[in-house]
Amino acid sequence: MMAILEYWPVLLKGLWITVTVSLCTIIGGAIGAVIIGGLRLSSSTAVRVATMVFVELWRSPSALVWLFWVYYALPMVTGTRINPLTAAILVLLLEASVYGSEVVRSGLEAVNRGQSDACYALGLNKSQSFIKVVLPQALSQIVPGFGSMARTMFKWTAIVSFIGVQDLLYVSQFVRAQTFETTKVFLLLAVVYWILCLGVAFAFRALEQVLPLNRALRAAQASSSASQLGDNVSAIGAA
Amino acid sequence: MTWDWNYAFEIMPDLLVGVWYTVVVTLASSAIALSLGLLLAILESVSTTFGRAFVRFWLEIFRGVPILVLLYMAYYVLPEYGLNFSGMVIGIGVTGLVYAAYSSEVYRGSLITIPPELRDACVALSLSPSVTWLSVLIPLMVKRSIPALLNYVVGMFRATVFLFAIGVPVLMGEAQTAADRSFRYLEPYTLAGCIFILLNLPFIYILSKAKADHV
Amino acid sequence: MSRTTELSSAGNRVNPGGVASSERKVDVSTSSKQEPVWAIEFKKICKSFGAFRVLVDLDLKVQPGEKVTLIGPSGSGKTTVLRLAMTLAKPTSGDIRIFGESILFDQAGTLLSSAEEARIRRRCGMVFQQFNLFPHLTVLQNLILAPTTVLKQSKAEAKESALRYLRMVGLEGKVDAYPAQLSGGQQQRIAIARALVMKPEILLLDEITSALDPEIAGEVLDVVRRIARESGVSMLIVTHEMRFAREVSDRIAVFDGGRIIEQGTPEKIFISPESERTRSFLQSVLNH
Repeated sequence: MMAILEYWPVLLKGLWITVTVSLCTIIGGAIGAVIIGGLRLSSSTAVRVATMVFVELWRSPSALVWLFWVYYALPMVTGTRINPLTAAILVLLLEASVYGSEVVRSGLEAVNRGQSDACYALGLNKSQSFIKVVLPQALSQIVPGFGSMARTMFKWTAIVSFIGVQDLLYVSQFVRAQTFETTKVFLLLAVVYWILCLGVAFAFRALEQVLPLNRALRAAQASSSASQLGDNVSAIGAA
Repeated sequence: MTWDWNYAFEIMPDLLVGVWYTVVVTLASSAIALSLGLLLAILESVSTTFGRAFVRFWLEIFRGVPILVLLYMAYYVLPEYGLNFSGMVIGIGVTGLVYAAYSSEVYRGSLITIPPELRDACVALSLSPSVTWLSVLIPLMVKRSIPALLNYVVGMFRATVFLFAIGVPVLMGEAQTAADRSFRYLEPYTLAGCIFILLNLPFIYILSKAKADHV
Repeated sequence: MSRTTELSSAGNRVNPGGVASSERKVDVSTSSKQEPVWAIEFKKICKSFGAFRVLVDLDLKVQPGEKVTLIGPSGSGKTTVLRLAMTLAKPTSGDIRIFGESILFDQAGTLLSSAEEARIRRRCGMVFQQFNLFPHLTVLQNLILAPTTVLKQSKAEAKESALRYLRMVGLEGKVDAYPAQLSGGQQQRIAIARALVMKPEILLLDEITSALDPEIAGEVLDVVRRIARESGVSMLIVTHEMRFAREVSDRIAVFDGGRIIEQGTPEKIFISPESERTRSFLQSVLNH
């Protein structure tokens, strides 16, 4: 184990790359997902169909195929080489956006129709009712969905090692080759991925707590259990 | 660099071998995942203490570690303990085990939605537990799980690409071999992408049909 | 037509547009001198969903300050009338005018821009069967959302008027509660207050007690009775509460199969209805 830990600067650098790629992917993907998700619910049929074709085309081959295509094949057409890190983030970000768009779409659709009717009746315009009423409620569904999307995407970042991005997996292979401590290196690697993945999950669970609708429902739950308690107390008092 | 049709045709047979491997791996790991997932879900439901703890542990492990890392682990670590498997076996096994964990969640979800009155009815008819499971609960669980499970089958189909990392000549592996041999990257990877899109078409059809049937 | 003029005396008793700004009222009355200006006017409205005709050649006029209740079997198109007035739905043919202005076409006959439509629509307020309060906002936030965003009122100003209307519906103590913490009846009273803070001149009430237990419905209806009595707002009401309809309405229109089969004062409809179908409908609901 000591032999492995001697390589800590390399390992740390790999960890840093993995975290950077993950953060770019998850944050960029969330934004992209809202955009694509919105386009999928557009009132224009042409936009809807075009978005759907793009989504299906993108997710037919896996992100790895796209990564190789963007990194190796695309420069053959355009004539300019792409930095591997740029290619990696670009592909993973699009992958996250496409997957997240499904989450956004179903989250928005799950908001009761009556809510936008009420906004309309009160005179709010489309963007006002989306920002103030529909989206805050949809977030209660979207954020948990994004949470599992983020965990999946975090694990997918391991593919960037294939095009030479020196992420956690890449540097681990290097350390393994140097130390021949195969079992320990891979165990360490698995544990680190596992912990980071847990971290992503926790971050999203924390985010869920502050969502407006969840706060409201929690308040309601607290007051109903409090009133039940009150009823019990008064029942005891009456007895 | 322009598209070279001659070269594209030249590598087609190799790519088709890759398609064959991709299909075999998808089917084999699906068989493992769907049946093992069912067993895990039943185990969790029957034994609420040990069974549940075991299944949760399994799920947490496989949920938190990338498949690619698990593949490398199995491929490089197992031989150190005298366990030599081919890349194909390891690939199918690891993919199957990971997706078994996911599938068990799906089965568990459908089991929960089966109304408890139905189990009461089975007791009232004095059906034995094994008959209750085999002829009532399992068919219902499976039926309700199909759309979600199909999504995981598609997931496994896409996950087959990882297997080229441990030397299995799946579609992606064949494309990479061809590309490295000729230093022509455009044709192999573009063709691989197109083949994936074609192979995925039936899935899109089946998924939309399953969704429609389910609603 | 003769029926509506006959009934107009009932409408005139109430000071028209009492809730509304006087400026608008003047504006409307000067714009058309010879014709009376209706608060809302449906002209030959047809509405179909596919092959199903919900409304057939509907003509309905409501005077400023008049309270008109639509009754009739479910599926007869009453709710659609309210949704059309609120522009939540568009008619297949015909025209709808709010204080003389079409909510569908401009004077050249082309479709109204959405900004224009929004301006005219603002004179209507609606209360829904399912309350449709915003669950993620507190009662106060529910009430000030539209005044601050649409009317650009300051927060303090909006809050002051929100509190006034909360007192009116008897729920000033629930300012910081979330909708999920309130009973159905309380939620509906909040929803009424939310519609009123926008100072509508026409209030559309769509089966506001249908989702409530009968014993709770009373508290909501009491609030509506008071509004009907104290303000000059016009009301278009859809309800299954016949006693309430009788008390609160100046006029009742009986719907069946997408048409108005009979209309008149509550006394006339409930005591001496002309139509056989009205009679059988009333019998079926009153015996319930």
